[in-house]
Amino acid sequence: MTDPEQKPQPSNATEAVNLFAEEVSSCPQPVYRDLVARCPVAHSALGGSKLISRYEDVLWALRNPRIFSSAMDTQLALGTERPMIPQQVDPPAQTRYRKVLDPRFSKKRMREIEPDIRRHAHALIDDVIEAGACDFGRDFAVPLPCTAFLSLMGLPHSELSRFLELKDGIIRPQERMATPDPDAMREIRVQTGRDIYAYFTDVIAERRRNPGDDMISYLLEAEVDGNRLSDEEILDVSFLLILAGLDTVTATLECSVAYLAANPAQRERLVADPSLVPAAIEELMRWETPVTAVPRLVKEDVTLHGVEIRAGEMVSLLIGAANVDDAEFGDAIAVDFDRTRNRHLAFGGGAHRCLGSHLARLELKVALEVWHERVPAYEIPPGETLHFTPGIREVRPFPLVWDVA
Amino acid sequence: MKVRVDAERCTGHGRCYDLAPEIFDEDEAGHCVLLRAAVPASLETKARVAAENCPEEAIALTD
Repeated sequence: MTDPEQKPQPSNATEAVNLFAEEVSSCPQPVYRDLVARCPVAHSALGGSKLISRYEDVLWALRNPRIFSSAMDTQLALGTERPMIPQQVDPPAQTRYRKVLDPRFSKKRMREIEPDIRRHAHALIDDVIEAGACDFGRDFAVPLPCTAFLSLMGLPHSELSRFLELKDGIIRPQERMATPDPDAMREIRVQTGRDIYAYFTDVIAERRRNPGDDMISYLLEAEVDGNRLSDEEILDVSFLLILAGLDTVTATLECSVAYLAANPAQRERLVADPSLVPAAIEELMRWETPVTAVPRLVKEDVTLHGVEIRAGEMVSLLIGAANVDDAEFGDAIAVDFDRTRNRHLAFGGGAHRCLGSHLARLELKVALEVWHERVPAYEIPPGETLHFTPGIREVRPFPLVWDVA
Repeated sequence: MKVRVDAERCTGHGRCYDLAPEIFDEDEAGHCVLLRAAVPASLETKARVAAENCPEEAIALTD
């Protein structure tokens, strides 16, 4: 038996890989493809996790939560005091939460907010278009999804900077220090976590007095198997929404526009025929996979490609690698907007399929349509190189220039 | 062509009703609802595309 208190050691000789190296996050596909071809079970050079890269294996793990559990709030140290709901809960409890949450994030429901997102995208471009230059992240890709999130939560758009501070405190605490220090990072996360709980505790109290058409009011009325959600459960959903709903779409927009800036022929196709945008989004999500991996806690010993993975070990399912596996995609290295078969795993799969996938697809579609309608030709300023952050691949900074008519 | 959907496998990616809305719709939770089990010849290509883009392999086609 494995003692869960003891940190598991790599049980076989696998290769050590550092996926957090800047040169990897800026151009991950060759590294992924090498792992898929030669070393389908590697381990992280930073310690802790086995890395699973082949499409077939990643999909198998995603579909088997009994072996590959998501219940691991303490292992990740994200400033939470309890598991985030539903992401860090396994079926069958997770299934009950999703029954309540899925209808609020359905494609039909998301369509209602499309005009709002479109209006906001135009407003953001209005602010920069005459300048012929912007920071695509700061001026567009960051505020757009955050504002959509605030609308869904029924919060005023003036809360934007506060929300950016809260999510960055959890996701990117290292950006607040000159040299990353694990203890200082943990401290920022714990404090930010307390701030998030306190903020939403106030929102819950306010919505109980003045219910509206927002997410928190809905959760206050919702029932799981005939029982209302507790305030703690609503906080645990809110914590997830702020972490999962803000950074991910930002990163996807940034990866997409970085690709299109570097590949003008592909960009020109989208400008000439905007009906290609949805297919282009699917292909760019596959190729770029901005959320690169999902963690799981192994609950029983398994052997995969001759490598033992023991109960108690963490694994990282490299969805970015799975998405460039030739065994699934044929010529996976070709970025082809006309690809007819594209079962990419950028939104995960199995029971934990991204709750916000329909919101994300809508935001991406509106953003890329409006951006290319208003700014059809653009480039990275000559001499500049874009750098992508690891884990969730954002471009910091993201200078972009275009000709002003 | 006949189409079947395995509701146990469907987790609501929504690729089918995005790509072939003549054959698939969504229920309240965004999971797949089959609009017609018998696919006319004119929609066979769309049915194939929907099946090939379902990450859960929840759609089965038979002749």
